[in-house]
Amino acid sequence: MHIGPILRAMKHNRTRVVLIVLEIAMTLAIVTNCINVILAERKKMLQPSGFDDDNIVRLNIRPYAQEFRDDAFIDNIIDQDVRTIESVPGVVAAANTHFQLWEGGGSSTQVFAPGVAHEPVVTQVYYTTKDITQTLGSTVIEGRPFQIGDHGIGHVVDPLTNVIITKSVADLLFDGQPAVGRTIQQGDPTDPSEKPMTVVGVIRDFYNPFGSPTSIAPYSDKAIFQPARNGGFSGGMSYLIRTQPGAMKSVIADVEKRLTAQNSGRIFEFKTTAQKKTEWFSGSKIVVTTMTCIIVTLIAVTTLGLLGLTSLAVSERTKQIGTRRALGATRGDILRYFLVENWLLTTAGLVLGVFGAYAVNFLLVSHVSDVKLQWQLVVGGVILLWVNGLISTIPPAIRAMAVSPSIATRSV
Amino acid sequence: MFGYHLKTALKSLRRNPILTALLIGGIALGICVSTAFVTLRHMYTQDPLPGKSDKVFYVRLDSRGKDSPFGGGISSLSSNMAIPDQITFRDAQNLLHSPVPVRQSATYITRVFVYPDPKVARPFQPDIRLCSADFFDMFKMPFQYGGPWTKANDAKPDQVVVIDDATNRKLFGGDNSVGKEIRIGTRQFKIAGVLAPWRPALRLFDLTRNPAGAPEPLYIPFNLHNTIPYQSFGNNSGWKRQPDVTTYEQLIATSERTFIQYWVELPDPKAVGAYGDWLTGYINDQKKIGRFERPVYYRLTTIPDLIQEWNLTPTGVRAMSVVSLLFLAVCSVNLVGILLGKFLARIPEVSVRRALGASRADIFWQHVIECELIGVIGGILGIALSAGILALLARFMQNGEALRLDGEMLITATFLSLVAGAVAGVYPAWRAASVAPAMQLKLQ
Repeated sequence: MHIGPILRAMKHNRTRVVLIVLEIAMTLAIVTNCINVILAERKKMLQPSGFDDDNIVRLNIRPYAQEFRDDAFIDNIIDQDVRTIESVPGVVAAANTHFQLWEGGGSSTQVFAPGVAHEPVVTQVYYTTKDITQTLGSTVIEGRPFQIGDHGIGHVVDPLTNVIITKSVADLLFDGQPAVGRTIQQGDPTDPSEKPMTVVGVIRDFYNPFGSPTSIAPYSDKAIFQPARNGGFSGGMSYLIRTQPGAMKSVIADVEKRLTAQNSGRIFEFKTTAQKKTEWFSGSKIVVTTMTCIIVTLIAVTTLGLLGLTSLAVSERTKQIGTRRALGATRGDILRYFLVENWLLTTAGLVLGVFGAYAVNFLLVSHVSDVKLQWQLVVGGVILLWVNGLISTIPPAIRAMAVSPSIATRSV
Repeated sequence: MFGYHLKTALKSLRRNPILTALLIGGIALGICVSTAFVTLRHMYTQDPLPGKSDKVFYVRLDSRGKDSPFGGGISSLSSNMAIPDQITFRDAQNLLHSPVPVRQSATYITRVFVYPDPKVARPFQPDIRLCSADFFDMFKMPFQYGGPWTKANDAKPDQVVVIDDATNRKLFGGDNSVGKEIRIGTRQFKIAGVLAPWRPALRLFDLTRNPAGAPEPLYIPFNLHNTIPYQSFGNNSGWKRQPDVTTYEQLIATSERTFIQYWVELPDPKAVGAYGDWLTGYINDQKKIGRFERPVYYRLTTIPDLIQEWNLTPTGVRAMSVVSLLFLAVCSVNLVGILLGKFLARIPEVSVRRALGASRADIFWQHVIECELIGVIGGILGIALSAGILALLARFMQNGEALRLDGEMLITATFLSLVAGAVAGVYPAWRAASVAPAMQLKLQ
């Protein structure tokens, strides 16, 4: 097959050439970038959190009875609540904490290790009662979970001497050396009034939002847990409850019943982690759905367009085809001619499209950093559109093949 | 002549209904997708405070310790420019004394139980925003009954409250409730005003926490902080453990925790300069009592700049609006191909008309009008479809209520469809118009 005549014929059909090349190029640019965004969102959605997400429910309690104004009363009822919740059949563990799963937000502080030279580490910090690691289902990789005696009888002003930290905090503070038994301190390194805390356990890093879904780095795996009860009249109190698989529904009903019996001057709000995760990712889900729809429609539109343009080329050239057939070209020659022509155009479009894909990506990335285009995707898009170009050429090319040589003799 | 062109165009479109449907469908699809996502983007990028966006400033102060620079936070500023997202309570109280701003307010949210008439509703615990009298005018919040409380109310401070439309419906059946009282916590509050339904895409006056959330339902004077120990429910950030503080009031008066948002309205650049000087003076005064250990650093930021700095437009929205416009472009390119085929098939007819005296311009305009007709019909269909898509999207969005096709977006969509029609039509029409009459007649 000689490419020369095909190229010379294209010179007479510049419009069609430009249209096909442009259409293929733009389609490649859009499809690869859409898939890229979809993959970035899916990666966020599918990354395991490190918690037993499916079996954890959060309970917020908002008290309105006046006795909750008394801190001692609050401490007392928190202990009672935790005991009551843990006695419900189907409950694995429960903790009173203001640590939130998949809601964004929380509290942060900075810590440093006295005597170790480094910048203070900014980290999340949460109060929790004893069973936090069991409740989250997170693995203690060094040291031990909290135990009785780690937190005393007081309110949030407990001595807070024993803490559990995540691996990433330990690594930043101690450079990979064992952290258990070491001392850390909160706040200003120059402030002599700061009280030291002792690391008793290190847990595996988790993946949990801290900022809002739109912030630059909404996720942080740096956290410190301090043993203390957390609650108040206006803030209410929060519990995390981990259930056995499948027991969620009965546990929620049972816990509400028993806690109401204990003290009814308060409102209970349950929310499962699955529910919160769905809400957290609702934006990502919209993006994935719409991008998928756009890709599908776009490929359909492009296929139709290519089909139309090639059909046009065939009907415009019916007479030439007839002449060539009359001069001895086989049906195969004609079929090959159109396939090769479209293959050339598609390839030219794809070459342009690769540049286009990176240009569009540049446009998108100028604000965002986590959607850099992966080259594998571009290759995938190229192959997809190559096949697509071939498929949309075949029907008109078959029609061209069927043109009879006698056409050449008809009319002028 | 226009009427005649229109008639021929309609006739030509009717001749091949399937092709016409395909053409119109293609444009409608492109317009629908691009309008929907450009509108979604517009929701985040439109002027958040029309006429005032460049006059209302968010105040931030670097009040941190010498060796405790601010880190983390929500800003995209580089670390050497980092500044706490909010200010401390004591700074807020002091800033309120500045004579420079025409309006100013310190603000934060708390949560307190509201006890309505037991016959009407159960106790509930809404987010309550503490702010100053100036706050409502500064953010152009619309009232249906009454209005903001007065500066005199601020000064005392009186127990007055502004409630939103939903709360007014819930507690008073939507009637004018100005002057009535509701119990918040342990105290009675007199209603000063009822807001009209109002749902900005972003909660302008507090972008620190879930900015797409709805404005709070209740507003009370900031100065009540002194008499009622309300806690902050927004983000809190601290760096200094403070000894010998036992009560909440003490903590508030001496704390270095930042949890207050501070807003000022400065009418012109001169006022901005004057306020900057005032802040510098304030920081230097504070240095004398041992605070503000770091170099003098403050930021005055408008809402649009803050939206950019804090990256509040979701990344997906940006990506989708770019992609959807490209999608429209592909639809247009497709249209060019189909129209070209359609017009070229009509060459014999054109050459007869040319031979009978039609000028090139006539042929050209006749075809352009045919394309524009396709563009306009496709556009109208597309706009209708995009309204449907937007309604669907809104159901899944927290701030979906603020998502709608406004006049500006309708004009944009119409413009897009005209452009798409023209882009797709001009070249094929020109090709049709350049047919030589004699040559084609000879071929017949």
